[in-house]
Amino acid sequence: MSDTTLRNATDRVWPEDGVTRVPAWIYSDPEIYAKELKVFHYGKTWNFVGLDCEVPEPNSFKRSWVGERPVIITRDAEGEIHVVENRCAHRGSLLCWKNRGQAKDITCPYHHWTYNLSGDLMGLPFLRGVQGKGGMPRDFDKSKNGLTKLRVAVRGGSIWATYSDEVAPLEEYLGPEILMRLDRLVSRRPLRLLGYSRQIVESNWKLYWENSRDPYHATLMHPFLSTFGILRTDGDYHSVPLQEGRHEYTYSQYDPELKNKTSEASKQIKSIHSDLEVKDKEVVSSVVDEFKDGMMGAFQVFPTILVQQYFNCLVVRHVIPKGVGAHELSWTYFGYADDDETINRLRLKQSNLVGPAGFVSLEDSEVLSLMQPVVESCPDSVQVLEMGGHGTEAQSTMMTETLIRAFYDFYRREMGL
Amino acid sequence: MSDWVRIADASEIADDEPFASEWNGEAIALYRHEGEIFAIGDICTHEHVRLSDGWFEGDRIECPLHQSCFEIRTGKVIEGGPASEDVASYQVKVEDGAVFVKRGI
Repeated sequence: MSDTTLRNATDRVWPEDGVTRVPAWIYSDPEIYAKELKVFHYGKTWNFVGLDCEVPEPNSFKRSWVGERPVIITRDAEGEIHVVENRCAHRGSLLCWKNRGQAKDITCPYHHWTYNLSGDLMGLPFLRGVQGKGGMPRDFDKSKNGLTKLRVAVRGGSIWATYSDEVAPLEEYLGPEILMRLDRLVSRRPLRLLGYSRQIVESNWKLYWENSRDPYHATLMHPFLSTFGILRTDGDYHSVPLQEGRHEYTYSQYDPELKNKTSEASKQIKSIHSDLEVKDKEVVSSVVDEFKDGMMGAFQVFPTILVQQYFNCLVVRHVIPKGVGAHELSWTYFGYADDDETINRLRLKQSNLVGPAGFVSLEDSEVLSLMQPVVESCPDSVQVLEMGGHGTEAQSTMMTETLIRAFYDFYRREMGL
Repeated sequence: MSDWVRIADASEIADDEPFASEWNGEAIALYRHEGEIFAIGDICTHEHVRLSDGWFEGDRIECPLHQSCFEIRTGKVIEGGPASEDVASYQVKVEDGAVFVKRGI
């Protein structure tokens, strides 16, 4: 056993070269992971938990997660949204086992303690015992034994939760650039839920977090993107870190002519297979510019989601940590309540681009799950992040790792590393 | 149950002790309170359990499972528990030591 594996997380020292080097131990050290959950997910952040179209009417619920903790989003009889821990206040058993549904109250399967949809304990069997024997003490106070309630914020059709009393209001936490992009997708029209994909990726959550801040890999590892002109190195592209690295967004102007052009840049990329064909071209060629701005893009809201628009496919990727070496990716596809049949069909068709077996996305989880055992086996190795220089500023190119550097700039401050 | 139905002997119903009965598959509980006999439906409207197994105090019965309370005079649910619907209520008359009930108040 090397010294590294015996060292305490608190003794960890970041490499001298700052954010251009990322030490591999951050992907496998259980103490680092525990601290991340405490500082990030259970700390002063807003966690995305779901969309309002997932709890569409009074008396509905949806399971979600904040960090590793299971939570339930509920909409009570009055229509108000709550987020409570999915953990019985009695013995800690998982209360709600169903992903979504309708209910007037929540009853624990273990001892049948019953809570209302705002998390208050309504009753428990045999409170007064049986035939004068047993039961709870007289001073047992139901009002003090409800579910743990999280602070909730709703923005347009998006629902957020936090354990923190100190974190700034959601709007301030997101900031104007993210708010504008979030509102563009979820606040202008009522949402319609189209469906889910869910997958377990056997890698530390940060490997995925970096992956979605890494436009450099996109045209190389995902041949589908370059072949069909969805994203090209010679297209217009912007990588913009926000709030000193906390959040970020990327965007490009969609150019339907780009796929017919060749340029010096595109010839350099080996993975552009011009002989790759797709039988149903509608998945890449039929686009409705529904926001009237020709913009395609994605944004990341720390620490839980990447929201992405591929043509008319709108999807939230929810990154849910599942131990130091795994995370779940929960993809929620949505459209709008007033969508016509044409655009609804396009959204569904284009959703084939993403998800666990997506034409574009399938390589990510494969590469990352093979990467995890490698970084685990070499905790003292470092990653090199010099594409686009050493800085953390916004850049108008895909050929940059500025977004990852900006993230680690933020990460180191928050984690004290 | 549009007619009076004989359901118990008055002597069977003790003070402040619920008496569980049944007529034609309908669970009915009888209560003696301040000298008078009352009858209401005996299955909680929240979960399927006999209310007469619960806690009878004053003029209310408390469900043994989740403490929903019902008025024994009217069957009306009292706000605060998980049940939100009333149980059935019955008229009661005692003739020659026999208890008769009939739907409604």
